[in-house]
Amino acid sequence: MNFSVVQSQFFPLLINGLALGFIYVLISVGYTMVYGVLRLINFANSEIFMLGTFATIIVSRTVFKFDINSQPSHGMKLLIVLLCCLLAAMLTSGVVAVLVELVAYRRLRSRGTNRLGSLISAIGTSIVLSEGVRLLTHSLPESSPRVLSKFYIFTIHGVGLRIDQFLVIISGALFFFAVDRFVKLTRIGKAIRAVSMSEENSRLMGINLNRVISITFLVGGLVTGAAAFLYETVYETTVFNVGFNLGIAAFTAAVLGGIGNLRGAFYGGLTLGLAEEFFSAVLGTQWKEVTVFVVLVLVLLVRPNGLFGEAIQQSRV
Amino acid sequence: MLNLRDKGAQLWEDWNRPKRVAFALIMIFGVFLLPYAGDFSFTSILNTPIASYQAILVYPVGMYILMALGLNIVVGKSGLLDLGYVAFFAIGAYTAAILGTKTTLNIWEILPMGMGFAMLAGVLLGIPTLRLRGDYLAIVTLGFGEIVRIAVLNTNSIGGPNGIPGVPNPPSILGQSFDLANPAHFFWIVVVMILFVIWMVRRLSIRRPGRAWEAIRQDEDVAILMGVPTLRYKIWSFSIGAAVGGAAGVIFASQQMLVAPQTFTFNVSVLILSCVVFGGMGNIWGVVLGATILSYFPERIRFISSARQLVFGLALIITMNLRPDGLLPRKKREHLSLEEREAAKAAKAALKQAKKLNSGASK
Amino acid sequence: MNLTTKRTLGVVAAAALALGSVVATSAQAAPKSVTLVFQNAVTGPNAGLGADELLGAQTALYEYNQSKPAVQIKLVMADDVSDAATASSVAAGIAGNAAVIGVVGSCCSTATKASFPAYKSGHLTIVSPSATNPSLTDPKQPKSNGFPFFHRVVPTDAFQGLALARLAVKGVTAPKVFYVDDQSTYGVGLKDTTAAALVKAGVTISGKDSVPAGTADYSSTASKVISSKANVVVYFGYYAGAAAFKKAIDLAGFKGTYASGDGTLDGGFITQAGKSDAEGTLITAPTVPFELAASAAVLADFTKATGVASPSGHAYVTETYDSINVFIQCIKEGHYTRSSIQNCVQNETFTSIKGSKFSFTRYGDVSGGAPVGAFTIKNGEISYLGNA
Repeated sequence: MNFSVVQSQFFPLLINGLALGFIYVLISVGYTMVYGVLRLINFANSEIFMLGTFATIIVSRTVFKFDINSQPSHGMKLLIVLLCCLLAAMLTSGVVAVLVELVAYRRLRSRGTNRLGSLISAIGTSIVLSEGVRLLTHSLPESSPRVLSKFYIFTIHGVGLRIDQFLVIISGALFFFAVDRFVKLTRIGKAIRAVSMSEENSRLMGINLNRVISITFLVGGLVTGAAAFLYETVYETTVFNVGFNLGIAAFTAAVLGGIGNLRGAFYGGLTLGLAEEFFSAVLGTQWKEVTVFVVLVLVLLVRPNGLFGEAIQQSRV
Repeated sequence: MLNLRDKGAQLWEDWNRPKRVAFALIMIFGVFLLPYAGDFSFTSILNTPIASYQAILVYPVGMYILMALGLNIVVGKSGLLDLGYVAFFAIGAYTAAILGTKTTLNIWEILPMGMGFAMLAGVLLGIPTLRLRGDYLAIVTLGFGEIVRIAVLNTNSIGGPNGIPGVPNPPSILGQSFDLANPAHFFWIVVVMILFVIWMVRRLSIRRPGRAWEAIRQDEDVAILMGVPTLRYKIWSFSIGAAVGGAAGVIFASQQMLVAPQTFTFNVSVLILSCVVFGGMGNIWGVVLGATILSYFPERIRFISSARQLVFGLALIITMNLRPDGLLPRKKREHLSLEEREAAKAAKAALKQAKKLNSGASK
Repeated sequence: MNLTTKRTLGVVAAAALALGSVVATSAQAAPKSVTLVFQNAVTGPNAGLGADELLGAQTALYEYNQSKPAVQIKLVMADDVSDAATASSVAAGIAGNAAVIGVVGSCCSTATKASFPAYKSGHLTIVSPSATNPSLTDPKQPKSNGFPFFHRVVPTDAFQGLALARLAVKGVTAPKVFYVDDQSTYGVGLKDTTAAALVKAGVTISGKDSVPAGTADYSSTASKVISSKANVVVYFGYYAGAAAFKKAIDLAGFKGTYASGDGTLDGGFITQAGKSDAEGTLITAPTVPFELAASAAVLADFTKATGVASPSGHAYVTETYDSINVFIQCIKEGHYTRSSIQNCVQNETFTSIKGSKFSFTRYGDVSGGAPVGAFTIKNGEISYLGNA
């Protein structure tokens, strides 16, 4: 037990926890949206994330010729590079997510009688994607060039807010807000909510189920891709199995908040990010997962459907 | 597509008792001979490249079948999604390793203790968490599996990441010694355990617990309304499944003579679950088939070396797309009684009659 | 018995004798080819290490084949997933395959340990490039080890721990050490010996943490480092973790000494951390990275054999190259059976890639425990400082 860390390093831990938390929020959105419409854990979401991180690195290296030792960029060029990397990550993840739905879920949904069948085909898809990348990269980790110089926006008494963390927190919040509005207000968002309320009824109401499910995967993938870009901006490294631990963590976050519920993903992600950061500081990083799961069990004992245990369709925002 | 399961079931139904017993005995005898299949020209195709065929039959094949049968009680019979089944396997293995190296108990004495500890863990985990529904349970069990692994990894007194070497082999039975040179003997023990679990599951399925699990799986709310004490039966299913996992762990540790935390990862839980669903949830023979294929296949294709996991993943996708309910899915309704079958036959005939009449009327 | 029958019998007996002697000589004569097994992690979480080590094996074999040898060496890949359970059944299969005369591997101590019982019963010689856990050759417990069939070209962590403890605090006034391991068998083993040496030397330990390999977020550990006011940080693990951790403590404002073991001595550390963050890192290693140890000719062979441009970033290439060469030397000298290979490996002297001579002790370690070198990162390059 080491509480002095929390005293002397409270603000850095808080900021780090928030940055990690917002990345969890965005990945959780991917899980929770798919769960909302299919009632299934999308096991391949961690690989959708992984491919987003590689897309970020490939674009900054090949299109903009950055390498690990190049000077960070400034001004207009910085903005263009960041936007291109973001777009590349989002598009890659979005497209892969739609393909995953086609390969792993569509056929089984129309024919299967138990939903675990698609869980296994999703696991198969996840194995194929990560093993494919492993063979292509020879299992080596890849580092992300530092495009954005990591300066402190402000410091007070030696503690400050770093630009990359600021970027993650702001854009994480913006992306979440955008998805929330999309699901809440647009026509297609309403269709998604209708499907997650009742598949049968929404089909009767003339909703094209396949199209809505594809779009749900697309939106989930886009947001997961954004998370991948932000992750690379802060942590600057990736490897073929990078999604594994993050995927478990993000799924835990989604459950913590109440799976199928967007706001649940938001609060669950932030809670988990902060909890991981503070628990590792106090108890040692090796007990991080243990403490997180203990917290999860305690929360579920009190609130069996998570902190915000309503399904996506009932959220009143 | 040819419905193998129904064909097989039909054949079985039509046989009389002596025929069934004879068939079962022949099959069991054949399974007992499997370790020697690698030595004959026409069955040597079963031989696994690089790894020892007889050792593969014990782990992963035998162990995976045993664990898949145990997990099937939880997932297939009562419909509880358990993503941390490896925890019970680990508890069994570590019980054998700790007691085997620190006390004078032999493995046969440790076996019931390993099962007991696994059951206890199952009950302790089950009481608070089995009130949860569906995927909430999945994530909590996943967490439990990780907690067990991380706990042994971080505990230096039981070897930390090095694990525990020197787990003793079981003492001999009927003059048959159990050691590295005789994987076939371990295989036979595992087969006996598998047969026992199959027998137990079949007995339970047609009695009260089986019916309660079936009710819980189909609709838990209705089960509660019908007066089924769902929590109690869920804990039973959880802890019986756990005991099977624990037993597998004890035998595993004494055959490997070494346990280490990296064997007990989340991947094993996922793989065992895959065996259950791939083969056909709820159907014992499907689960056995699924576990056999999924554990044996990656060993058989070792010659493609580094791409074999990729091929394994592809095989999962393709098979699940072709057979969404698994290779040998359970029947929609299990165990129709004789009267029910008669009734179904009569109904079919009546339907035919009615159709005939109908077509006659329209003429 | 008449004369003719006697004579016929005599001829048959002579023919049988002659046949027997032909069989006997052919057993000693050079076979067309012999089989070595490369047991390693080809898939699974440590597949990166296995792939790296394969490069060293390929290079050594390529050079052997360039010499147009009469005896071909077949290298069979055996994937043990660096998992004890898989390693045990793989080893049983290899030991049962009469064609195999030697094993190179495995990458990781636990998988190696799990393979011992099978190899011991098969009397099969193993040379490991990177299993460094001291217990593997512990003279006190030969029964649970691979004695006398296990050998390793890499010194145990016990030697390196002492050197690392010295190097990390060298020239630091009032050192306060914070150390982190990656929870791998390697990382924890090296941590145990180094920490013991530090405590013995009376150095203040200001804090410690264990971060599983593969973690990207080291920020809370970095906060602990800052809060503990440590001026020396030691990392026990592989280069990817070492790089991510170094970046995190630099961002958090750490200014002191950063030291690590041979898992970090790799060009991959610099490409992962970047030149500026990697600069000044102190590293101990019982061997040298391939790109520094190999001559230009061997480096050219490396590229030709593997199709990979540079060995930089790939771990334990040197050690695997040396391990395979142990077997190659014995095969060149005419040892083609398990027992004569075991004799040869146990008793003869071999040449490492650096040109130095080494042999194995009774328990399978490199005799005398190779000197541990000290390295640092200078202008984005690994540079050798001398013995640590």
